[in-house]
Amino acid sequence: MAFIAIENVSKTYNETELDSTVKVLTDISVEIEEGEFIALMGPSGSGKSTLLTTVGAMNRPSQGKVLIDAIDVYGLTDERRADFRMEYLGFVFQQHHLMPYLTALENAMLPLATSPVSTREKRERAMVVLESVSLGNKASRLPNQLSGGEQGRLAIARALANQPPLLLADEPTGTLDSKTGSEIMEVFLELNRQGQTIFMVTHNQENASLADRVLQIRDGSLVGCCAPHEARRSLAVETDHEPQSVYVGQGRTAVSESPVGLDPA
Amino acid sequence: MRISTIAFANLNRRKGKAMFLTVGIAIGVGTIVALLSLSNSIQEEIGAQLDRFGANIVIVPQSNSLALDYGGVSVPGVTFDEHQLSNEDVEKIRQIPYHKRLSVIAPKVLSAAEVEGQQVLLAGVDFKNELKLRRWWRITGRNPETEGEVLVGYEVARALSIIQPTGQAPQRGAEGGEHHSTEEQSQFKIVKGELQIAGQPHSVAGVIGATGGPEDRMIFGELLHVQKLANKFGQLNVIEVSALCKGCPVEEIVGQIRDKLPHAKVSAVQQAVKARTEMVARLTRFSAAVAVVVLIIGALMIFTTMMGSVVERTKEIGVLRAIGFRRTHIIKGLILEVATISAAGGFFGWASGLAASWVVLPYFSETGVGRELNPTMLFAALVGAMLIGTLSSIYPAVRAARLDPSEAVRYI
Repeated sequence: MAFIAIENVSKTYNETELDSTVKVLTDISVEIEEGEFIALMGPSGSGKSTLLTTVGAMNRPSQGKVLIDAIDVYGLTDERRADFRMEYLGFVFQQHHLMPYLTALENAMLPLATSPVSTREKRERAMVVLESVSLGNKASRLPNQLSGGEQGRLAIARALANQPPLLLADEPTGTLDSKTGSEIMEVFLELNRQGQTIFMVTHNQENASLADRVLQIRDGSLVGCCAPHEARRSLAVETDHEPQSVYVGQGRTAVSESPVGLDPA
Repeated sequence: MRISTIAFANLNRRKGKAMFLTVGIAIGVGTIVALLSLSNSIQEEIGAQLDRFGANIVIVPQSNSLALDYGGVSVPGVTFDEHQLSNEDVEKIRQIPYHKRLSVIAPKVLSAAEVEGQQVLLAGVDFKNELKLRRWWRITGRNPETEGEVLVGYEVARALSIIQPTGQAPQRGAEGGEHHSTEEQSQFKIVKGELQIAGQPHSVAGVIGATGGPEDRMIFGELLHVQKLANKFGQLNVIEVSALCKGCPVEEIVGQIRDKLPHAKVSAVQQAVKARTEMVARLTRFSAAVAVVVLIIGALMIFTTMMGSVVERTKEIGVLRAIGFRRTHIIKGLILEVATISAAGGFFGWASGLAASWVVLPYFSETGVGRELNPTMLFAALVGAMLIGTLSSIYPAVRAARLDPSEAVRYI
């Protein structure tokens, strides 16, 4: 069984003012293997973030199931789902959303705050992840004392502190300049090379081309997918230019070369 | 890193808001502490004053016969009694366990005597104690100093032509201070200094201004002298006792005196006790009403601030929920913040309230009693502030915890 199985997921919002319903996701099915790096692309309002938060155990679908490591995420109670997020998921937000009043080390320790382990062990674990993103020497700095790239890396460190099997990223380079964005993507690629499963929402075709697979969503439905080389071609056709750099496929532990299980219902 | 680390770091980050809330709570707690301290001191003082105002325990011989009425208290016949009180009984009263609470013990012997051809009630009293008990007496002349000197009641003095109407004159209070009495009382002067009582000459030391009480129709002489005059050596007809106490256990004192004087009838003057209790109860009700208003205002202030804080921190709470914080973790963090602020507010409120009460106490109280550090009040201030802070924050905290993380993340 795939590490992540999204089965016939639909999401509908009720608009009480208009007395109508808006369908954000329509019958989405996809499987993701452990160690895969998935990029989810689509225009604004297409349902990317909704799908991300649904996979992220934060947004109950109106229909369908999300199974992660064979666990029916929405079969859990709210509190157990919080525990699940703590244990299985790491989030990287577009604007990082670091706690401005905590140091880099404390920010990295956040996912460990409720853990029963000792403060010393929490500190050690946080230092390990900080060093893995080359921020070991800036552990005592506040977020506003870090550059944009360092803040991005700190956000990744925070997401990795509890060693989650799945890393979710919502446009992690969206607010960064291209150089800083590349810096962050390097970190993602390195993590992926070490076996980290990554599910990333992005507008950036260049970044998407670095993934193992690119899922494309339009009006709440997956409309296309492809392996990396197909993705690059698809993106090139769509945007009428070739991606500038490609780092695809280095050292991955599990790559699905088969077409995505798109269910064209 | 624990939830408390986040809570304290957040307080440190929002110093201004935390300070504002602390000051607000401190003002509320301070007001209540000051009010309670003042009210407590005033209660003590009123209690003491009321206790001093007159006797609240009357002791008379055990008898079925009722002959004379004195001060609204029935006194057995003065001509014959099977169980008379005696001078020794006064000493016995001084030996009760609560003897330190007895401020005045005023023994009396009563006798009908012929004065200038008229029957008058003559009372033998211990002037030192009697004048302490009758603080409302206004005496024209002076206090008796020797055996042969008497104080004459206003009506007796008028009937025996001891006084004559005159203009305004300064008068001396029962304890010797200068007083300006009412117009009627002040418009007389002593014109006759000698009286024949039971055939013996006595000098009039002073005349008691009209009180409307039984003393207007009496003559007061030195206890031992009257006992001798009335041929009642060592005998007493009534002993009045003033018990000075806060939350006065009058009934217990009465019980102790009964044990010592089984042959006597000991009764508490309920009116004095009731008046005192009523006065204290009113003060307590007033303090409680103000405290409730302050508490409500304080709770609303905390509630509003916390609601604002939750809205302001929607993103932060959303991120924490997305990371995997449980609802209970969010509530715990927020409540911890408020509890810390409340404890600080409670402490500073207690300190400032106490200081304020000490500053203003002299304007409300003559004695300034109650100037003491009360650990119970400190404990109550801390616990009360934390309780109000926590209760006021429960709804905002629960609301924060109920934030749908995906909704909160939408803001992100």
